[in-house]
Amino acid sequence: MNSRDYAQVSAAPQARPAARGLRLLASVKIDFSLLVLVLLLCCFGLAALYSASDGNGDLIRRQALIVGLGVLAMLAVAQFDMRLIRRAAIYVYLGGLGLLGLVLVIGVEANGARSWLDLPGLPSFQPSELMKFVVPGVLAWYLADRPLPPRLWQVIVAGLLAAVPAALIVMQNDMGTAMLVAMAGIFVLLLAGMSLKLVAFGGLLALLASPLWYVFVALEHQKNRILSFINPYTDPAGAGYNIIQSQIAIGSGGVYGKGFGEGDQSRLDFIPESNTDFIFAVIAEEFGLVGALALITLYVLLLARGLQVAINARNMFARLLAGGIVLVVFFNVFVNVAMVIGLLPVIGLPLPLISRGGTAIIAFFVGFGLLMSIDAHSRKSQMPRG
Amino acid sequence: MTGRWQFRDHEAERRLFNRRVMLASSIIFLLLATLVAKLVNLQVVQYEYFSARSDGNRLHVQYVPPNRGLIYDRSGTLLADNLPVYNLTIVPEEVIDLDATLEYLSGLVDLSAGDIETFEEQLRRSRVPYSSVPLRYVLTEEEKYRVAVNNHRMPGVSMEPQLMRHYPFDSLTAHSVGYVSHINQQELDALDETEFENYGGTTHIGKTGVERTYEHLLHGQVGYETVEKNNRGRVMRVLESTEALAGNDISLHLDHRLQMVAEEALGDYRGAVVAIEPETGGILAMVSKPGFDPNLFVTGISRKDYGALVTDEVNTPLFDRSTNPYPPGSTIKPFLGLAGLHLGLVDYDYTIDDPGYFRLPGVSYRWNDYTMRTVIGGGHGVTDLRKAIYQSCDTFFYDLGNRLGIDAIYDFMSLFGFGGNLALDIDYARSGVLPSRDWKMETRGEPWYPGDTINSSIGQGYMWATPLQLATAASLIANEGRMVRPRILQSVNGEPYFLEEEFPTADVVLEDPDYWRYIGDAMTMVVHRPYSNVFRDYGTAFEAIARADPDMTYKIAGKTGTAQVVGISQNIRSSAEIRVSELNRDHALFIAFAPAGHPQIEPRIALAVFVENGEHGSTVAGPVAKKITDAWLLDILQLDLTVEAEPETVFPQEPAPPTPSEIAAVAAVNE
Repeated sequence: MNSRDYAQVSAAPQARPAARGLRLLASVKIDFSLLVLVLLLCCFGLAALYSASDGNGDLIRRQALIVGLGVLAMLAVAQFDMRLIRRAAIYVYLGGLGLLGLVLVIGVEANGARSWLDLPGLPSFQPSELMKFVVPGVLAWYLADRPLPPRLWQVIVAGLLAAVPAALIVMQNDMGTAMLVAMAGIFVLLLAGMSLKLVAFGGLLALLASPLWYVFVALEHQKNRILSFINPYTDPAGAGYNIIQSQIAIGSGGVYGKGFGEGDQSRLDFIPESNTDFIFAVIAEEFGLVGALALITLYVLLLARGLQVAINARNMFARLLAGGIVLVVFFNVFVNVAMVIGLLPVIGLPLPLISRGGTAIIAFFVGFGLLMSIDAHSRKSQMPRG
Repeated sequence: MTGRWQFRDHEAERRLFNRRVMLASSIIFLLLATLVAKLVNLQVVQYEYFSARSDGNRLHVQYVPPNRGLIYDRSGTLLADNLPVYNLTIVPEEVIDLDATLEYLSGLVDLSAGDIETFEEQLRRSRVPYSSVPLRYVLTEEEKYRVAVNNHRMPGVSMEPQLMRHYPFDSLTAHSVGYVSHINQQELDALDETEFENYGGTTHIGKTGVERTYEHLLHGQVGYETVEKNNRGRVMRVLESTEALAGNDISLHLDHRLQMVAEEALGDYRGAVVAIEPETGGILAMVSKPGFDPNLFVTGISRKDYGALVTDEVNTPLFDRSTNPYPPGSTIKPFLGLAGLHLGLVDYDYTIDDPGYFRLPGVSYRWNDYTMRTVIGGGHGVTDLRKAIYQSCDTFFYDLGNRLGIDAIYDFMSLFGFGGNLALDIDYARSGVLPSRDWKMETRGEPWYPGDTINSSIGQGYMWATPLQLATAASLIANEGRMVRPRILQSVNGEPYFLEEEFPTADVVLEDPDYWRYIGDAMTMVVHRPYSNVFRDYGTAFEAIARADPDMTYKIAGKTGTAQVVGISQNIRSSAEIRVSELNRDHALFIAFAPAGHPQIEPRIALAVFVENGEHGSTVAGPVAKKITDAWLLDILQLDLTVEAEPETVFPQEPAPPTPSEIAAVAAVNE
């Protein structure tokens, strides 16, 4: 069927109710492979959360509710027209900046970061979490209109577009998300063909600046995280405690794991932040290497599908946006797992779709909804040709 | 829009994008491979190591302390019990503001400055993290309620149940049963490896008395529990356990009723009573006065309470008078008499004519007879051994001791346990001093002088004996030399503990066994020889005991003793001159056994009474002994001691009222 005409078909008043329902359903834009992968990950997440929270029913119900809302949000976003999204990008971005500014004024603090907004009539949420996909959107909007690869001054403008929200998030004392937002900008620039020499130069500059950062800028707890990453046993009861206990949990899980709900390290609260940042340790302990690899495989499939969407996309805005979303998701997964298994210093980033969360999970669903929308858009354009 | 006019090669852009996607994919693949490699390293290569670490995190072996054995007296009354109590404890790691918590708690329970001081001292010591530290022991019902209701306001504060040793008779058994208290480092160090393991969960150890002597019977066997603890040290479940084995319940020969009678009979005096059952050697009563509340030590005595106990230099409540030595005075005279008979230096007909003093041949120095210091002067006159005992004639024993010599005295008195410790299970009892030539040379670096023997003959000078030793020796006379060593433990879990054949000790065998009866009769006269028309010819304890109770149904064999506390120059006629303080007053002693001379019933009790600064062995110590024998024979054993046909009298019955001058003279007699 020619989906280009769906609006007229669905509007046909003569159609019999059953057939009309079927056509309506068929006109809904859903990428089933993405949906299945996302739902599998969410189920994995709920199971891990059940175990990590010691069967806390309220917590699981709340998480399931958020997942449900997320799925609805994803499907809703999937229905958006690509052109609308492209036009809206800059306004959403400006709105996001406004919210970040508002956080600085009336933000609410939790877990050391002042990143929540508690507006009347709305559940409290984190504007910063939304920015990780808004930034790729605005950069894609900016760069897609210009010949690629971008010129230096365009790179600088694009960099500023990412740097402003990142800086605002740094001011909320949420380094993990700030880094993610900044990286989102770099990813889009990379995909847009930014000179690799420039990337190498930037990387070198960051490397040279890092000692200066450590000496003059880094806060005490950040220094401790670096030190305990290098050798957690210098302070095994303090800064090194999290990483040691997390490694014990993962290592003692072995190949097949201790079994669902049988993870001693998580059950007896030896794993810190087992509901959020360190939930991967719970999965690796209870489901072993097999479970950890299964989870990573799900992510790989999700990322592969995302990249496929990006490559098939009809225009550069869609490509850059899709690619940016995929790389942001990957970066998030990688940083979290690498931190939990001791390959990176502790950086406060949750495991996408698995860790307990509100805005963060909804944001991921919105991201996947954007992927679905892009996919639908590209199919629509390919249909007549094929 | 500046880019609008530029030419755009959409296909080239698309290829560039695709190349970048390929580059990103490769990097993603490499990074993910790194993650997988690290996971394999943790979960496969290092699995054993982390598995052990995980178990080490959660599994803990805990000791389960055994319940301490109970201590009963011979009548089955509990002398040492275990009471379930609730202690207020704090896990400092869980407390948010310690000072505020203590402040709040002091409004709920009675917290002394000492409690807080002890608590803070424990905090300063190294301890296991998340372990609880006791703040107050033994909460009252009301305090328990108040803490329970407000517990949610005080994180880290809890009430822990514990079985706590309790001594229901308080000070009555303070010295004999002793007490348990917190085990200290020295005591832990003294334990060997297996014992140390066995004391893993034990907080208290026997410190004195029976509690210490029979620690090995009372303690029991420690149990073990493998528990799973969470991150905060809370026990989540018990995985494996070995039950603790409770300590043995033991019964003592001690009788709490007799103990109470003895304590009461001593009245306000400081002193000691030891009573022994001659047939079994069982210690029926062992009292030291004043006592103290042993329960204070169980919960950890406060500095103030302890200070009060140790700084009382007059009453010295912690000092066990029943097992510490004093000059025995005249109470040793019956033993010296036995020595004289046994070695043939005196016989039943041997007499001296006492002028009231003794002089060594060729020496002008006079040893006065303290027992007959009267205003009218003079001595006991013609005196045989029997009269020398019931009138406590010093001169007779000066003479006898001089002729025996210190070596024979030492050898003979040793048989009765003087200078040693015959008790089987009172190893903390002191030995006193039975002086000898070697002893004096060793301790004083001086040779033995004949004059030393004279002083020793009346239980003064170097001679020191404990109330326990005196009671043991009296018990030997009651047994006519059959040696039954004293002991306090009767049975363990209902089974007799000491088997006589395991403790072979030589009996005291005399040349003629009749000597025992003779000395026994002489001691009976001490108590029962009444007034006669012969001047002052009655027993030294007659007035205080037999005359005070004309309805006595049985006879007591006894011997009075009055021991000088400070050396009295032989030139001072009356020790009244130096009695500047009560503490310089003479000690009063009395040894006895009863019933004496009964045709059917053997002596059932032998005892020694010591009254510190009591002055008169007859009038102060004698009545104490009488109350104890009455209680034991009549009230507790409820013996029918009345003798149908009055046996042949052992002494003349010629009572005559004393003349007024005699009464005046008697009043001035010191003993």
